[in-house]
Amino acid sequence: MVNEEVLRTHLQELRRGTVVVASLLALRQPGYGYALLQRLTGHGFPVDANTLYPLLRRLEEQGLLTSEWNTQESRPRKFYRTSADGETVLARLLDDLAAVQTSVTGLIEGADR
Amino acid sequence: MNTLTDRYLAATLRSVPAERRDEIATELRASIEDMIEDRTGGGQHTATAEREVLTELGNPDLLASRYTDRRLQLIGPTYYLVWLRLLKLLLSFIPAIVGTVVVVVEVAQGNGFGAIGRGIVVAMQVGVQITFWLTLTFAVIERAQPGTTMPGWTVDQLPDVPTHRDVSLADTVASVAMLALTIGYLPFQHYQSWVHDTDGGNIPILDPALWSFWLPALIVVLAASVVFEIVKYRTGRWTWPLFGVKGLLDVAFAVPVAWLALSDRLLNPALADRLSWLADQDNRDTLGVVIALSAAGVVVWGLIDSAVKTRRQTR
Repeated sequence: MVNEEVLRTHLQELRRGTVVVASLLALRQPGYGYALLQRLTGHGFPVDANTLYPLLRRLEEQGLLTSEWNTQESRPRKFYRTSADGETVLARLLDDLAAVQTSVTGLIEGADR
Repeated sequence: MNTLTDRYLAATLRSVPAERRDEIATELRASIEDMIEDRTGGGQHTATAEREVLTELGNPDLLASRYTDRRLQLIGPTYYLVWLRLLKLLLSFIPAIVGTVVVVVEVAQGNGFGAIGRGIVVAMQVGVQITFWLTLTFAVIERAQPGTTMPGWTVDQLPDVPTHRDVSLADTVASVAMLALTIGYLPFQHYQSWVHDTDGGNIPILDPALWSFWLPALIVVLAASVVFEIVKYRTGRWTWPLFGVKGLLDVAFAVPVAWLALSDRLLNPALADRLSWLADQDNRDTLGVVIALSAAGVVVWGLIDSAVKTRRQTR
Protein backbone atom coordinates (compact mmCIF):
# COMPACT_ATOMS: atom_id res chain seq x y z
CA MET A 1 0.00 0.00 0.00
CA VAL A 2 1.52 3.33 -1.07
CA ASN A 3 1.73 5.98 1.64
CA GLU A 4 -0.60 8.88 0.72
CA GLU A 5 1.86 11.42 2.11
CA VAL A 6 4.73 10.01 0.02
CA LEU A 7 2.60 10.05 -3.12
CA ARG A 8 1.49 13.63 -2.49
CA THR A 9 5.10 14.82 -2.03
CA HIS A 10 6.25 13.21 -5.28
CA LEU A 11 3.35 14.64 -7.25
CA GLN A 12 4.09 18.08 -5.78
CA GLU A 13 7.76 17.78 -6.82
CA LEU A 14 6.73 16.75 -10.32
CA ARG A 15 4.31 19.68 -10.66
CA ARG A 16 6.51 22.40 -9.21
CA GLY A 17 8.40 23.41 -12.35
CA THR A 18 5.40 23.15 -14.62
CA VAL A 19 3.63 26.10 -12.94
CA VAL A 20 6.18 28.47 -14.51
CA VAL A 21 5.65 26.92 -17.95
CA ALA A 22 1.88 27.11 -17.58
CA SER A 23 1.99 30.76 -16.40
CA LEU A 24 4.26 31.89 -19.24
CA LEU A 25 1.98 30.10 -21.73
CA ALA A 26 -1.25 31.44 -20.28
CA LEU A 27 0.06 35.01 -20.05
CA ARG A 28 0.60 35.29 -23.78
CA GLN A 29 -2.85 36.82 -23.27
CA PRO A 30 -2.58 39.49 -20.54
CA GLY A 31 -4.13 38.52 -17.24
CA TYR A 32 -4.23 39.49 -13.55
CA GLY A 33 -3.49 37.29 -10.53
CA TYR A 34 -6.80 35.71 -9.64
CA ALA A 35 -8.00 35.38 -13.25
CA LEU A 36 -4.79 33.52 -14.08
CA LEU A 37 -5.26 31.29 -11.04
CA GLN A 38 -8.72 30.32 -12.24
CA ARG A 39 -7.56 29.81 -15.81
CA LEU A 40 -4.71 27.53 -14.72
CA THR A 41 -7.02 25.55 -12.43
CA GLY A 42 -9.50 25.20 -15.31
CA HIS A 43 -6.74 23.74 -17.48
CA GLY A 44 -5.70 21.19 -14.88
CA PHE A 45 -2.92 23.16 -13.18
CA PRO A 46 -4.18 23.58 -9.62
CA VAL A 47 -1.86 26.08 -7.92
CA ASP A 48 -2.01 27.72 -4.49
CA ALA A 49 -2.70 31.45 -4.43
CA ASN A 50 0.16 32.04 -1.99
CA THR A 51 2.52 30.41 -4.49
CA LEU A 52 1.24 32.03 -7.67
CA TYR A 53 1.12 35.70 -6.59
CA PRO A 54 4.74 35.86 -5.40
CA LEU A 55 5.80 33.81 -8.44
CA LEU A 56 4.31 36.39 -10.82
CA ARG A 57 6.30 39.15 -9.14
CA ARG A 58 9.50 37.10 -9.32
CA LEU A 59 9.02 36.37 -13.04
CA GLU A 60 8.43 40.10 -13.57
CA GLU A 61 11.66 40.97 -11.74
CA GLN A 62 13.48 38.44 -13.90
CA GLY A 63 12.15 40.23 -16.98
CA LEU A 64 10.11 37.26 -18.20
CA LEU A 65 6.82 39.10 -17.64
CA THR A 66 5.85 42.72 -18.22
CA SER A 67 3.06 44.38 -16.26
CA GLU A 68 0.59 47.20 -16.60
CA TRP A 69 -1.92 48.62 -14.16
CA ASN A 70 -5.52 48.68 -15.34
CA THR A 71 -7.62 51.24 -13.44
CA GLN A 72 -10.67 51.08 -15.72
CA GLU A 73 -12.53 48.46 -13.70
CA SER A 74 -14.03 48.41 -10.21
CA ARG A 75 -10.61 47.95 -8.59
CA PRO A 76 -7.04 48.57 -9.84
CA ARG A 77 -5.58 45.36 -11.22
CA LYS A 78 -2.10 44.54 -12.34
CA PHE A 79 -2.09 42.79 -15.72
CA TYR A 80 0.87 40.61 -16.60
CA ARG A 81 2.00 39.58 -20.08
CA THR A 82 4.79 37.29 -21.25
CA SER A 83 7.73 39.37 -22.53
CA ALA A 84 10.09 38.61 -25.43
CA ASP A 85 12.62 37.19 -22.95
CA GLY A 86 9.77 35.19 -21.42
CA GLU A 87 9.01 33.68 -24.85
CA THR A 88 12.66 32.66 -25.28
CA VAL A 89 12.75 30.99 -21.87
CA LEU A 90 9.35 29.40 -22.51
CA ALA A 91 10.57 27.88 -25.80
CA ARG A 92 13.56 26.30 -24.00
CA LEU A 93 11.36 25.02 -21.19
CA LEU A 94 8.86 23.48 -23.63
CA ASP A 95 11.71 21.79 -25.54
CA ASP A 96 12.98 20.36 -22.29
CA LEU A 97 9.53 19.19 -21.25
CA ALA A 98 9.18 17.44 -24.61
CA ALA A 99 12.64 15.89 -24.18
CA VAL A 100 11.62 14.55 -20.77
CA GLN A 101 8.47 13.06 -22.27
CA THR A 102 10.52 11.44 -25.07
CA SER A 103 12.98 10.00 -22.55
CA VAL A 104 10.20 8.62 -20.40
CA THR A 105 8.56 7.04 -23.43
CA GLY A 106 11.93 5.51 -24.41
CA LEU A 107 12.30 4.02 -20.95
CA ILE A 108 8.77 2.61 -20.97
CA GLU A 109 9.33 0.96 -24.36
CA GLY A 110 12.76 -0.24 -23.25
CA ALA A 111 11.25 -1.91 -20.22
CA ASP A 112 8.87 -3.89 -22.41
CA ARG A 113 11.69 -5.39 -24.48
CA MET B 1 -10.74 50.37 8.71
CA ASN B 2 -9.68 47.35 10.62
CA THR B 3 -11.10 44.41 8.70
CA LEU B 4 -9.46 41.00 8.63
CA THR B 5 -8.10 41.83 5.18
CA ASP B 6 -6.48 45.03 6.47
CA ARG B 7 -4.89 43.13 9.33
CA TYR B 8 -3.72 40.40 6.97
CA LEU B 9 -2.15 42.95 4.59
CA ALA B 10 -0.43 44.77 7.45
CA ALA B 11 0.97 41.50 8.79
CA THR B 12 2.25 40.49 5.35
CA LEU B 13 3.76 43.83 4.39
CA ARG B 14 5.52 44.30 7.72
CA SER B 15 8.58 42.43 6.48
CA VAL B 16 8.47 43.50 2.83
CA PRO B 17 10.95 46.26 1.82
CA ALA B 18 9.29 49.70 2.02
CA GLU B 19 9.84 50.69 -1.62
CA ARG B 20 7.77 47.75 -2.88
CA ARG B 21 5.21 47.78 -0.10
CA ASP B 22 2.51 49.98 -1.67
CA GLU B 23 2.54 48.16 -4.97
CA ILE B 24 2.33 44.73 -3.39
CA ALA B 25 -0.40 45.98 -1.04
CA THR B 26 -2.59 47.25 -3.89
CA GLU B 27 -2.12 44.10 -5.95
CA LEU B 28 -2.63 41.72 -3.04
CA ARG B 29 -5.73 43.59 -1.84
CA ALA B 30 -7.22 43.39 -5.35
CA SER B 31 -6.45 39.67 -5.51
CA ILE B 32 -8.04 39.05 -2.11
CA GLU B 33 -11.14 41.04 -3.08
CA ASP B 34 -11.36 39.10 -6.37
CA MET B 35 -11.25 35.84 -4.45
CA ILE B 36 -13.89 37.00 -1.92
CA GLU B 37 -16.14 38.31 -4.69
CA ASP B 38 -15.92 35.00 -6.49
CA ARG B 39 -17.12 33.18 -3.40
CA THR B 40 -19.91 35.63 -2.46
CA GLY B 41 -21.11 35.35 -6.08
CA GLY B 42 -21.67 31.69 -5.29
CA GLY B 43 -24.03 32.70 -2.43
CA GLN B 44 -21.57 32.74 0.47
CA HIS B 45 -21.69 35.29 3.30
CA THR B 46 -18.97 37.96 2.92
CA ALA B 47 -17.45 37.44 6.38
CA THR B 48 -17.23 33.67 5.88
CA ALA B 49 -15.73 34.13 2.41
CA GLU B 50 -13.12 36.55 3.75
CA ARG B 51 -12.12 34.10 6.46
CA GLU B 52 -11.80 31.25 3.96
CA VAL B 53 -9.75 33.26 1.50
CA LEU B 54 -7.28 34.48 4.12
CA THR B 55 -7.01 30.96 5.54
CA GLU B 56 -6.23 29.71 2.03
CA LEU B 57 -3.48 32.32 1.62
CA GLY B 58 -1.98 31.06 4.87
CA ASN B 59 0.54 32.44 7.36
CA PRO B 60 1.33 36.05 6.34
CA ASP B 61 4.99 35.64 7.34
CA LEU B 62 5.30 32.72 4.94
CA LEU B 63 3.63 34.70 2.14
CA ALA B 64 5.93 37.68 2.82
CA SER B 65 8.98 35.42 2.69
CA ARG B 66 7.89 34.24 -0.76
CA TYR B 67 7.59 37.85 -1.94
CA THR B 68 11.03 38.77 -0.65
CA ASP B 69 13.00 35.51 -1.06
CA ARG B 70 13.78 35.73 2.63
CA ARG B 71 15.45 32.65 4.14
CA LEU B 72 13.19 30.66 6.42
CA GLN B 73 16.10 28.68 7.81
CA LEU B 74 18.90 29.55 10.17
CA ILE B 75 21.60 27.75 8.19
CA GLY B 76 20.70 26.41 4.77
CA PRO B 77 22.07 23.44 2.80
CA THR B 78 24.92 25.55 1.37
CA TYR B 79 26.58 25.99 4.74
CA TYR B 80 25.03 23.28 6.91
CA LEU B 81 27.67 20.60 6.29
CA VAL B 82 30.60 23.01 6.77
CA TRP B 83 28.97 24.30 9.96
CA LEU B 84 28.41 20.78 11.28
CA ARG B 85 31.97 19.67 10.52
CA LEU B 86 33.49 22.73 12.19
CA LEU B 87 31.20 22.41 15.21
CA LYS B 88 32.12 18.76 15.75
CA LEU B 89 35.81 19.55 15.38
CA LEU B 90 35.76 22.43 17.88
CA LEU B 91 33.56 20.63 20.42
CA SER B 92 35.72 17.52 20.24
CA PHE B 93 38.57 19.02 22.20
CA ILE B 94 38.28 22.69 23.25
CA PRO B 95 35.78 22.21 26.15
CA ALA B 96 37.80 19.21 27.42
CA ILE B 97 41.07 21.17 27.37
CA VAL B 98 39.60 24.23 29.10
CA GLY B 99 37.84 22.04 31.67
CA THR B 100 41.09 20.19 32.43
CA VAL B 101 43.01 23.46 32.82
CA VAL B 102 40.37 24.72 35.26
CA VAL B 103 40.52 21.50 37.32
CA VAL B 104 44.31 21.65 37.51
CA VAL B 105 44.32 25.31 38.52
CA GLU B 106 41.61 24.74 41.14
CA VAL B 107 43.43 21.71 42.55
CA ALA B 108 46.65 23.73 42.69
CA GLN B 109 44.75 26.31 44.72
CA GLY B 110 43.74 23.57 47.14
CA ASN B 111 40.03 23.34 46.33
CA GLY B 112 40.01 19.52 46.41
CA PHE B 113 37.11 17.56 44.92
CA GLY B 114 35.07 20.71 44.22
CA ALA B 115 37.53 21.34 41.39
CA ILE B 116 36.09 18.52 39.25
CA GLY B 117 32.56 19.93 39.38
CA ARG B 118 33.87 23.39 38.56
CA GLY B 119 35.81 21.95 35.60
CA ILE B 120 32.69 20.24 34.22
CA VAL B 121 30.62 23.42 34.55
CA VAL B 122 33.25 25.51 32.75
CA ALA B 123 33.62 22.88 29.99
CA MET B 124 29.84 22.96 29.42
CA GLN B 125 29.82 26.76 29.34
CA VAL B 126 32.63 26.74 26.79
CA GLY B 127 30.71 24.22 24.67
CA VAL B 128 27.59 26.41 24.72
CA GLN B 129 29.62 29.51 23.84
CA ILE B 130 31.35 27.78 20.91
CA THR B 131 28.03 26.49 19.56
CA PHE B 132 26.33 29.87 19.89
CA TRP B 133 29.03 31.98 18.26
CA LEU B 134 29.73 29.50 15.45
CA THR B 135 26.02 29.22 14.64
CA LEU B 136 25.57 33.00 14.78
CA THR B 137 28.50 33.49 12.42
CA PHE B 138 27.09 31.03 9.91
CA ALA B 139 23.58 32.50 10.20
CA VAL B 140 25.05 35.93 9.34
CA ILE B 141 27.02 34.50 6.40
CA GLU B 142 23.86 32.75 5.18
CA ARG B 143 22.11 36.13 4.97
CA ALA B 144 24.91 38.53 4.10
CA GLN B 145 26.69 36.88 1.19
CA PRO B 146 24.45 34.62 -0.84
CA GLY B 147 27.15 34.50 -3.54
CA THR B 148 29.99 33.24 -1.36
CA THR B 149 31.39 30.05 -2.79
CA MET B 150 32.49 27.51 -0.22
CA PRO B 151 35.51 25.32 -0.89
CA GLY B 152 34.16 22.42 -2.94
CA TRP B 153 34.32 18.85 -1.82
CA THR B 154 37.08 16.63 -3.25
CA VAL B 155 37.81 12.94 -2.82
CA ASP B 156 41.00 13.87 -0.93
CA GLN B 157 38.81 14.90 2.02
CA LEU B 158 37.57 11.35 2.52
CA PRO B 159 38.45 10.24 6.05
CA ASP B 160 40.26 6.96 6.62
CA VAL B 161 38.06 3.91 6.96
CA PRO B 162 36.84 4.21 10.58
CA THR B 163 37.54 0.61 11.62
CA HIS B 164 41.27 1.34 11.45
CA ARG B 165 41.00 4.13 13.99
CA ASP B 166 40.39 2.78 17.46
CA VAL B 167 42.30 5.68 19.06
CA SER B 168 40.14 8.80 18.93
CA LEU B 169 41.45 12.32 18.38
CA ALA B 170 39.60 13.53 21.49
CA ASP B 171 41.35 10.95 23.73
CA THR B 172 44.74 11.82 22.25
CA VAL B 173 44.23 15.55 22.67
CA ALA B 174 43.04 15.07 26.25
CA SER B 175 46.05 12.88 27.11
CA VAL B 176 48.54 15.29 25.52
CA ALA B 177 46.91 18.22 27.32
CA MET B 178 47.15 16.43 30.67
CA LEU B 179 50.82 15.58 30.08
CA ALA B 180 51.63 19.14 28.97
CA LEU B 181 49.92 20.55 32.06
CA THR B 182 51.87 18.18 34.32
CA ILE B 183 55.14 19.16 32.64
CA GLY B 184 54.21 22.81 33.05
CA TYR B 185 53.26 22.35 36.71
CA LEU B 186 56.70 21.08 37.78
CA PRO B 187 58.55 24.40 37.20
CA PHE B 188 55.38 26.36 37.99
CA GLN B 189 55.09 25.04 41.59
CA HIS B 190 58.67 26.13 42.19
CA TYR B 191 57.73 29.78 41.78
CA GLN B 192 54.04 29.78 42.66
CA SER B 193 52.80 27.15 45.10
CA TRP B 194 50.36 29.21 47.23
CA VAL B 195 52.41 28.26 50.30
CA HIS B 196 54.38 31.18 51.68
CA ASP B 197 57.00 31.53 54.35
CA THR B 198 56.74 34.13 57.11
CA ASP B 199 58.31 36.79 54.83
CA GLY B 200 55.71 36.15 52.13
CA GLY B 201 58.25 34.34 49.93
CA ASN B 202 57.20 31.25 47.96
CA ILE B 203 57.84 27.73 49.28
CA PRO B 204 58.02 25.14 46.46
CA ILE B 205 55.95 21.99 47.08
CA LEU B 206 58.64 19.66 45.76
CA ASP B 207 62.15 19.56 47.18
CA PRO B 208 64.27 22.05 45.15
CA ALA B 209 67.24 19.67 45.52
CA LEU B 210 65.46 17.33 43.07
CA TRP B 211 66.09 19.80 40.23
CA SER B 212 69.70 18.58 40.09
CA PHE B 213 68.53 15.33 38.48
CA TRP B 214 65.13 13.78 39.26
CA LEU B 215 62.71 16.49 38.15
CA PRO B 216 64.43 17.01 34.75
CA ALA B 217 64.42 13.21 34.34
CA LEU B 218 60.66 13.05 35.06
CA ILE B 219 60.06 15.87 32.56
CA VAL B 220 61.95 13.87 29.93
CA VAL B 221 59.73 10.84 30.65
CA LEU B 222 56.58 12.98 30.37
CA ALA B 223 57.80 14.52 27.10
CA ALA B 224 58.45 11.00 25.79
CA SER B 225 54.85 10.13 26.78
CA VAL B 226 53.60 13.04 24.64
CA VAL B 227 55.54 11.66 21.67
CA PHE B 228 54.10 8.22 22.46
CA GLU B 229 50.51 9.57 22.39
CA ILE B 230 51.10 11.15 18.98
CA VAL B 231 52.67 7.98 17.58
CA LYS B 232 49.75 5.97 18.97
CA TYR B 233 47.26 8.31 17.27
CA ARG B 234 49.06 8.05 13.94
CA THR B 235 49.12 4.27 14.25
CA GLY B 236 45.40 4.50 14.94
CA ARG B 237 45.20 1.48 17.26
CA TRP B 238 46.87 -0.25 20.16
CA THR B 239 49.54 -2.83 19.24
CA TRP B 240 51.63 -5.02 21.56
CA PRO B 241 54.85 -3.00 20.89
CA LEU B 242 52.93 0.18 21.78
CA PHE B 243 51.66 -1.57 24.92
CA GLY B 244 55.27 -2.41 25.87
CA VAL B 245 56.47 1.17 25.39
CA LYS B 246 53.50 2.51 27.35
CA GLY B 247 54.31 0.13 30.23
CA LEU B 248 57.97 1.21 30.27
CA LEU B 249 57.06 4.91 30.26
CA ASP B 250 54.54 4.49 33.08
CA VAL B 251 57.01 2.55 35.18
CA ALA B 252 59.80 5.05 34.41
CA PHE B 253 57.59 7.79 35.85
CA ALA B 254 55.96 5.98 38.77
CA VAL B 255 58.97 4.14 40.21
CA PRO B 256 61.11 7.27 40.81
CA VAL B 257 58.09 9.10 42.25
CA ALA B 258 57.25 6.21 44.59
CA TRP B 259 60.88 5.71 45.62
CA LEU B 260 61.37 9.44 46.32
CA ALA B 261 58.10 9.52 48.29
CA LEU B 262 59.02 6.45 50.39
CA SER B 263 62.49 7.80 51.16
CA ASP B 264 60.95 11.14 52.19
CA ARG B 265 62.80 13.12 49.49
CA LEU B 266 59.84 14.19 47.33
CA LEU B 267 58.35 17.06 49.33
CA ASN B 268 60.15 20.25 50.26
CA PRO B 269 61.37 19.98 53.92
CA ALA B 270 60.70 23.72 54.27
CA LEU B 271 56.96 22.94 54.03
CA ALA B 272 57.13 21.50 57.54
CA ASP B 273 57.85 24.99 58.87
CA ARG B 274 54.47 26.21 57.66
CA LEU B 275 52.33 23.07 57.78
CA SER B 276 52.76 21.69 61.29
CA TRP B 277 51.16 18.37 60.30
CA LEU B 278 54.18 17.64 58.07
CA ALA B 279 56.63 18.27 60.90
CA ASP B 280 55.76 14.87 62.43
CA GLN B 281 57.96 12.12 60.93
CA ASP B 282 55.14 9.51 61.23
CA ASN B 283 52.82 11.71 59.21
CA ARG B 284 55.50 12.22 56.56
CA ASP B 285 55.98 8.45 56.30
CA THR B 286 52.25 7.89 55.97
CA LEU B 287 52.00 10.52 53.23
CA GLY B 288 54.95 8.91 51.43
CA VAL B 289 53.22 5.51 51.47
CA VAL B 290 49.97 7.05 50.18
CA ILE B 291 51.80 8.76 47.29
CA ALA B 292 53.73 5.59 46.44
CA LEU B 293 50.57 3.44 46.51
CA SER B 294 48.72 5.98 44.36
CA ALA B 295 51.53 5.97 41.80
CA ALA B 296 51.54 2.15 41.79
CA GLY B 297 47.74 2.08 41.47
CA VAL B 298 47.80 4.44 38.48
CA VAL B 299 50.43 2.28 36.74
CA VAL B 300 48.56 -0.98 37.37
CA TRP B 301 45.26 0.50 36.23
CA GLY B 302 46.94 1.95 33.10
CA LEU B 303 48.52 -1.42 32.24
CA ILE B 304 45.24 -3.32 32.67
CA ASP B 305 43.34 -0.72 30.63
CA SER B 306 45.81 -0.70 27.73
CA ALA B 307 46.20 -4.49 27.82
CA VAL B 308 42.42 -4.89 27.42
CA LYS B 309 42.37 -2.39 24.55
CA THR B 310 45.38 -3.96 22.85
CA ARG B 311 43.86 -7.43 23.13
CA ARG B 312 40.57 -6.22 21.66
CA GLN B 313 42.14 -4.18 18.84
CA THR B 314 44.78 -6.67 17.67
CA ARG B 315 42.27 -9.44 17.15
